[in-house]
Amino acid sequence: MVAETTVYFIMAISSLISVVATYLAIVEKDLVKAVIYSAIQSAMYALLYYLLMAPDIVLVYLPVAVGLIPGVLLVLIGKTERWEKDAKSG
Amino acid sequence: MLVELLNNYFLMIVLASLLANFVISLYGIFFKPHYIKKVIALTIFSDTMNTFAIYIGYRAWIGGKNPRPPVLTSYPSSEALHEFTLRAVDPLPQALVLTAVVIGLAVVLFLVFLGYVLYMHYRTLDLREIKRLRG
Amino acid sequence: MQRAVEVIVIMSLVLAIALLLLLASEYLLPGESVRLLASFYLYTTYNPSLPNYTVNSPEAVTAIVWDYRGLDTLFETAVFYLALIAGLALARRLYEEGLREDVDLSKSGLSLIVKTVTRLTSPMIIAVGASIALHGHLTPGGGFQGGATIAVAPMILIVVFSTLFLIKHGVTSDRMLVIRSLGLIGIGLTAILALLMGLVIGKFAYVFQNMPKLNSPIGVPATIGNILISGTLWFFNLFEMFAVAAGFVIAFIILMLVKGGEK
Repeated sequence: MVAETTVYFIMAISSLISVVATYLAIVEKDLVKAVIYSAIQSAMYALLYYLLMAPDIVLVYLPVAVGLIPGVLLVLIGKTERWEKDAKSG
Repeated sequence: MLVELLNNYFLMIVLASLLANFVISLYGIFFKPHYIKKVIALTIFSDTMNTFAIYIGYRAWIGGKNPRPPVLTSYPSSEALHEFTLRAVDPLPQALVLTAVVIGLAVVLFLVFLGYVLYMHYRTLDLREIKRLRG
Repeated sequence: MQRAVEVIVIMSLVLAIALLLLLASEYLLPGESVRLLASFYLYTTYNPSLPNYTVNSPEAVTAIVWDYRGLDTLFETAVFYLALIAGLALARRLYEEGLREDVDLSKSGLSLIVKTVTRLTSPMIIAVGASIALHGHLTPGGGFQGGATIAVAPMILIVVFSTLFLIKHGVTSDRMLVIRSLGLIGIGLTAILALLMGLVIGKFAYVFQNMPKLNSPIGVPATIGNILISGTLWFFNLFEMFAVAAGFVIAFIILMLVKGGEK
């Protein structure tokens, strides 16, 4: 009885932190920080997959979304530009 | 009962936050003008859809015991097999999500190469500038 | 300050929508029984008393990925291969992969502490990735999981040392292309393994067949000696691990070697 509520509580906490990380990743203007926030969101999703009893998906998701995708995006940012300009009108 | 209401509320928080992620990443794909921001929002979007699929495959707690992952851990006598089919989580959404993650990764790799060639041609990755400069 | 206010607003919105969803919660909660197809897969994944339906693998997800729905995985591997080829074709004349002799490799890269730790941990990463891939039919894991884990090690080596370090030690993109092609040929041959065995012996067999079925009594053996290998599943995991890891290494090397833009 207590175990069930604890598992659901940890699921709810990790989902709320992933919403905060997603919002900060979309609104941030420095692209390196946006990639880091997206990696935090992927780590919270990996915890959610573990609690939803899907260990195969955890083993795929952790190297891909926390290691390889931010690595490739950071290399691309290093070769192109880093800051996103303001939204002008028109 | 209060405990049951609390459990249901936590599960509804998970669903509502997945919905919020879906909406925020869709806003990010459409309204943010930088190419790399769009790619980041696309990865968040596809991960949220994968999480919906895995949530559908979850199973409720029967008799106070947690559901198990779909892996047999002992030799399959008929009692062990019966217990396994009574407690294990649905394995089919996990197999489909595996394929979806691989395909999402392949698309992002291709988009990164495309972004690099775009920068070499136009000297900027701001899509409003590219639309103005086009050709 | 303004960011904090926006974050609090979004969190309270999510909590309020969850309270609203609580009214409809009986349609959104997980059920107590799984669907009929899933219970069929769970019942027959390792069941020696049903010799025409079983896969002889205690891991249901790997059995679905490589046996029950094997054609999906074959086409997913083809999609990954096509995306990689498209990416490499876009960058085909923008890099040069020569072996420059005038670069002193002991002075480039990060500091000595990071280099020593990387020298210790990258063989460990490769060993763990190989273990995840080769035990894919017994524990959670499989070919793609192991391949993605192994591909993290060259990325760390490129960042800590340099790309020239990798090329000087023999990890060039041509060799990785050879390994990737060998992995894909291995997957193709394993897919028609039962058919070839049937042609040799003279009995009827299907393409992509793993265990003996109703109309074709021969199949790939499920155990070698006393060790359970679940037929073609172990070979699929092995070749997929090589193909995926080599594909990622090619993409990294070429992405690091293209010329950066001038600001």
